[in-house]
Amino acid sequence: MDAHLMLGNEAVARGAWEAGVRVAAAYPGTPSTEIVTSLARYDDVYAEWSTNEKVAYEVAFGAAMGGVRALTAMKSAGASVAADPLISSVYTGVNGGLVVCLAGDPGMSSGMTEQDDRYFGRISSMPMLEPADSQECYEYAKRAFAMSEEFDVPVMVRLSIQTAHQKSIVRFDGEVGAGGGDDPVALRRPVPERRPPDRKTEKYCLLPKFSRPLHRSLLERVERLRAYAEASAASGELARAEPGTGAFARIGIVSAGAAAISAKEALPEASHLKLGMIHPLPIEAIREFAATVDRLFVVEELEPYLEEQLLAAGIACEGKRWFPQWGELTPVRVGRGLVAAGLDLPRWAEEKAAEDASVIPRPPVLCTGCPHRGMATAMKKLDLDVHGDIGCYDLTTLPPVSHMHSAVEMGASIPMEQGFTRAGGSEKGSIAVIGDSTFLHSGLTGLLNAVHQRTNVTVLIQDNSITAMTGGQTNAGNVRTLAGAQTKPVDIAAICRALGVEHIESVDPYDYEACVAALKAGHAFDGPAVIITNRPCMLFPSKLPGDAHYVVDEDVCNACQQCMKLGCPSLHHVEATHKGRHKVAIDSETCTGCSLCAQLCKPGAIKKAGDA
Amino acid sequence: MNGKQSKSAAPNACAVHYADGVVDDIMVVGVGGQGVIVAAAVIADTALLHGDLEVKLSETRGMSQRGGSVSSHIRIGKTVVAPSISPGEVDYLLAFEQAEGLRLAPSVVPGGVAIVNLQQIVPPLASQGEFAYPFDAVERMDDGSRRLIALDGNAIALEVGDLKVAGIVLVGALSTHLPFDVATWREALARNVPPKWKDLNFAAFAAGREAGA
Repeated sequence: MDAHLMLGNEAVARGAWEAGVRVAAAYPGTPSTEIVTSLARYDDVYAEWSTNEKVAYEVAFGAAMGGVRALTAMKSAGASVAADPLISSVYTGVNGGLVVCLAGDPGMSSGMTEQDDRYFGRISSMPMLEPADSQECYEYAKRAFAMSEEFDVPVMVRLSIQTAHQKSIVRFDGEVGAGGGDDPVALRRPVPERRPPDRKTEKYCLLPKFSRPLHRSLLERVERLRAYAEASAASGELARAEPGTGAFARIGIVSAGAAAISAKEALPEASHLKLGMIHPLPIEAIREFAATVDRLFVVEELEPYLEEQLLAAGIACEGKRWFPQWGELTPVRVGRGLVAAGLDLPRWAEEKAAEDASVIPRPPVLCTGCPHRGMATAMKKLDLDVHGDIGCYDLTTLPPVSHMHSAVEMGASIPMEQGFTRAGGSEKGSIAVIGDSTFLHSGLTGLLNAVHQRTNVTVLIQDNSITAMTGGQTNAGNVRTLAGAQTKPVDIAAICRALGVEHIESVDPYDYEACVAALKAGHAFDGPAVIITNRPCMLFPSKLPGDAHYVVDEDVCNACQQCMKLGCPSLHHVEATHKGRHKVAIDSETCTGCSLCAQLCKPGAIKKAGDA
Repeated sequence: MNGKQSKSAAPNACAVHYADGVVDDIMVVGVGGQGVIVAAAVIADTALLHGDLEVKLSETRGMSQRGGSVSSHIRIGKTVVAPSISPGEVDYLLAFEQAEGLRLAPSVVPGGVAIVNLQQIVPPLASQGEFAYPFDAVERMDDGSRRLIALDGNAIALEVGDLKVAGIVLVGALSTHLPFDVATWREALARNVPPKWKDLNFAAFAAGREAGA
């Protein structure tokens, strides 16, 4: 059989495609994004970037009600946004299969929190599978669709960032798309069947009259799922018990997903029970395994989700006492925990450095020519209280720009600015900063509220015409959809007008003085004010070449460092100094000619190449 | 495995090299935009195309496209469990940039191999005064605790025809240490670069192979 090296997310997409998924909807969010990006490449899947995760969930839910197999995918924070339909759809159940992929981010590589998403299974009673590598991503995605239709319930495939973003070998098991290689574009499958669409008031209208009996049938369904969990664990399909060898054979480890991989790497000789279904738990299978060992460890990332359920079932085990409740549980962290628990493991006996922490850090920065830079510098100059949102502009929270004072969750900027203003605001003024995609995701309602409550908020919409931070996905402001169809881009200024904003100013973020003037005018206006920047992202959808580059006249440069405060990666210090400070040069290869540094240069040392 | 050198391209070289329990831990590091991801894909695909081996790969998470540090882990063996390399267990470090090489140097196993490109990219943070860029990174890495191969991948790439293929020059240098034959490397290269740049990449790989031997 052909071996394919696939990302976990790509393997989920492949499994879903083979299972006959027809509709996929998501809002981009690391580490879940590639699931729908991959599905969009198959000709016969309708895939969309929805305006937010709740909308995406409801689109997929509606498609399932309409009789086809559907999928939605999200990051942890996205599940919180979609929590309402996520919980309600377990009451109603589905028609065509509905699979919910939820990719968590222990370690917070890109998330704002490291919430433990496994509790969504318990809070909603949605069954939950957790794959550990790409092969399982592929297999579990297929199984999830079958389960969803068998039990008439959405099924969650829960991934950890490691599982979603590692690449490992997948061997396809069916005839669907067999021999078609890795390129989805070339693959064909039989047209998946559509079930008759549901038209069942008592199933989908959650009025108390209907939802009370639905809750009782939901609880009955949980019991049937529990039996399924036990049966599939006993058969080895969704749980794998591997007896240990040698001195560690009587040490048992229960785990699932990425943590199971780390546990196996940390102590391969132990007896391992790797769970594939994590809600409801196959507790009797775990009890049986526990009886074969002298000491049982539970290895899991973040909260003691499994550990508490084992203890509640009367299964003695050790977990969070030895393994941290924060961050990714890498093999070394599992190994160090086992050493702390008294095991003699030479490989993990001493702490080894992963890297030399004294070497200058290299965090990501705003790209050369990024349209966010001008406004960030202008806000810093005016010393505003800045309520940010979720987007690349958060990179200016750190030095050298360091102008942002909150960046919490999608859509928070405008309501937080409103509340801050209601609290009395600040002396120099405050402002909400939000990007186009986030504004369309969940900014509108906040702005509408501020207008309705007659609060004098100032809002900066950094419109770069793309969802940049997650890698350049389309949004409602674009002329094309994910599927490539031509569409009408939304007019953000017109939305603001319709919401009742009377001061709306469009500004070129490459014009520093215009940025400062627009911020001042916005604050001076008596009423809610919106400022919209009008330059596109330099990186997405394709890298822009920019304009003629700029050069520094070293004789004129007085090393005042104004330009360096922009945090532009194309500016760097040279050997030459003035009054002990290094002078500056511009990298001609990468400079895109945005000219902000020249505008800030008081002695006039920076000129367009050729003009000098 | 500890930097064992195998220049042989005999058909059974891999079977000998990857005995039970032997895993090659290869880490590729650099700066976003340098081509680390493509280089890692070429290395992983070579092992995959060879067949009979397990390959796992994991990459830096986060916003690596915006000039930040990037690293890619590739693990090759008969059986591989974790997709990422544990601290101190890197057999081969392939650094596209000096400071990134120095940063990850402690993770190389004693006696392991570090191949470092002479390129230096000073991050904007250097202008803030808190941190200094280590212009002596290669000298500091050459402290006898690992086998150091420093080469000017950018100059070699320019000689071959384009700065863009510097990463593939480095992959060529690494290839002399792994037991895969040149034909398999070329097949993996062809999979990962646009067809019109295939020959240029082949030339860069060959030049790197010579420089790294």
